[in-house]
Amino acid sequence: MEQVWYTAAAWIGLAFLASLISIRLGISIALIEIFLGFVAGNLGSYFGSTIFQPNAWINFLAGFGSVVLTFLAGAEIEPETFRKQLIPSLTIGTIAFLSPFLGCAAYAYYLAGWNPQAAWIAGIALSTTSMAVVYAVMVETGLNETELGKLILAACFVNDLGTVLALGLIFANYNYWLLIFIAVTTVALILLPAVSRQVFARWSGRVSEPEIKFLFLVLCGLGGLAVTARSEAVLPAYIFGMVVAGLFVHNKILMLRMRSIVFALLTPFFFLKAGTLVSLPALIAGFGVLLALFWSKMITKVLGVWPTCRWFNMPARETNYTTCMMSTGLTFGSISALYGLTYGYVTQAQYSLLVTAVIGSAVIPTLIGQIWFYPTQAGSLDRELRQYVGTIEHFLHIPEE
Amino acid sequence: MYKKILVAYDGSEGANKALEAGINLAKIHGAELVALSVQEGLPRFASTIDEVQEEKAYANQHYGKLLEKARARAQEAGVELKTIMRPGHPAKTIVQVAKEGKFDLVLVGHTGLSEVWAAFLGTTAEKVSRHAPCSVLIVR
Repeated sequence: MEQVWYTAAAWIGLAFLASLISIRLGISIALIEIFLGFVAGNLGSYFGSTIFQPNAWINFLAGFGSVVLTFLAGAEIEPETFRKQLIPSLTIGTIAFLSPFLGCAAYAYYLAGWNPQAAWIAGIALSTTSMAVVYAVMVETGLNETELGKLILAACFVNDLGTVLALGLIFANYNYWLLIFIAVTTVALILLPAVSRQVFARWSGRVSEPEIKFLFLVLCGLGGLAVTARSEAVLPAYIFGMVVAGLFVHNKILMLRMRSIVFALLTPFFFLKAGTLVSLPALIAGFGVLLALFWSKMITKVLGVWPTCRWFNMPARETNYTTCMMSTGLTFGSISALYGLTYGYVTQAQYSLLVTAVIGSAVIPTLIGQIWFYPTQAGSLDRELRQYVGTIEHFLHIPEE
Repeated sequence: MYKKILVAYDGSEGANKALEAGINLAKIHGAELVALSVQEGLPRFASTIDEVQEEKAYANQHYGKLLEKARARAQEAGVELKTIMRPGHPAKTIVQVAKEGKFDLVLVGHTGLSEVWAAFLGTTAEKVSRHAPCSVLIVR
């Protein structure tokens, strides 16, 4: 019988180790957690241990982690920037989603011989763009504060919206439950910005954290309805994040508290679980398909994004850079692949190939973009020659505000 | 002789020695003195923007405190110290700032905070001395 505390200690210990490695190497905690999960899961299988096999409570924490991650991703949009760059960001983002979605699904179905559902999951998982990976690259050189940087981030956002919509709608049961889900979600999303504003204004800052509980309540309620309709809980979470994004701009402390909960307790279980389910034998056996999936994503992204950027008169170097950035992927790719495995649309072997291809797309195009296509230097030195003071106000100030 | 001096500053023992040397040289030459802290270790390939923002905020706080101390030390010695913080790879960023700011001297400590890595990969000081567009003084 499982001793829950030993299992919890093992998973949290792994998450703690991942944090230390991440800080030392300067690599995202998510990648390290996936990697350690992969090592622990495969070693566990080899030695016959079940401690790193996901069970009901781990599945719940991981699932909730993916929903809250998606909510935070939705809340990352800057509404003003998005409005300013509406046409180019919508066009580039939509094409950056459609091209790999259709192209990778076609590869998986026609050439790799996957069944239609698995092929759709492949298309969805490889259609993503990682806004966070792109943002991290841009912060290093201040590009996130330029018009080009904001355009790329807005396009990433649209791309991910396409992914979430596809994940939420392709596998849904088209019956009255879906109608109820759509109707309730639509009404809720119209009302939620005003309701959330009231809740934040009236109860925020209290030790019992009513505003965070309110957000979790909405996420769980809409998520439950989505799953009943055979849709996916991340769909309403992302859109909920979008509609309340403006509130978070003015409430950084709430955002910090949410992050603390998410990064300490929820996302480690999601990413570790995503890693434990990646099978080393499957990767070795399907290495050729893995490469083909990765290159399908790269080629279809280039074919879609590059000409679109040029159509908007973007200079060649910036176009190449934007194409590389839009070819990245991580969180939504992992969420989509795990969704496919959870509902039995893909096998564990197919899941392993998809997650590894997604991770490859987080790293390789980023490095190519940074090394060969980095646009002309953003920002000037004079702007930076200013005084920095290490106060708590400074800590709470987010440079991108 | 020197008009603009850049001190690479990470709060280590070597960096403090470089700062002292920089203060003395700035006095002697009447030069402008600037301290640069490179924010190493911001997460690459992040899963959320929050992760990057929070690490950046942490780095701002950490390096902000270090630079504040450095500025106080320079003020004690009667020298005005300007400060810059930038995220990135230390050697690459120091060289880039030296080029952009047209500095004519860069001061770096012999050993920084990453001695174990330096044993395998070479120190930041070595790399800066190879690639900087101006004179480099490695302070021991």
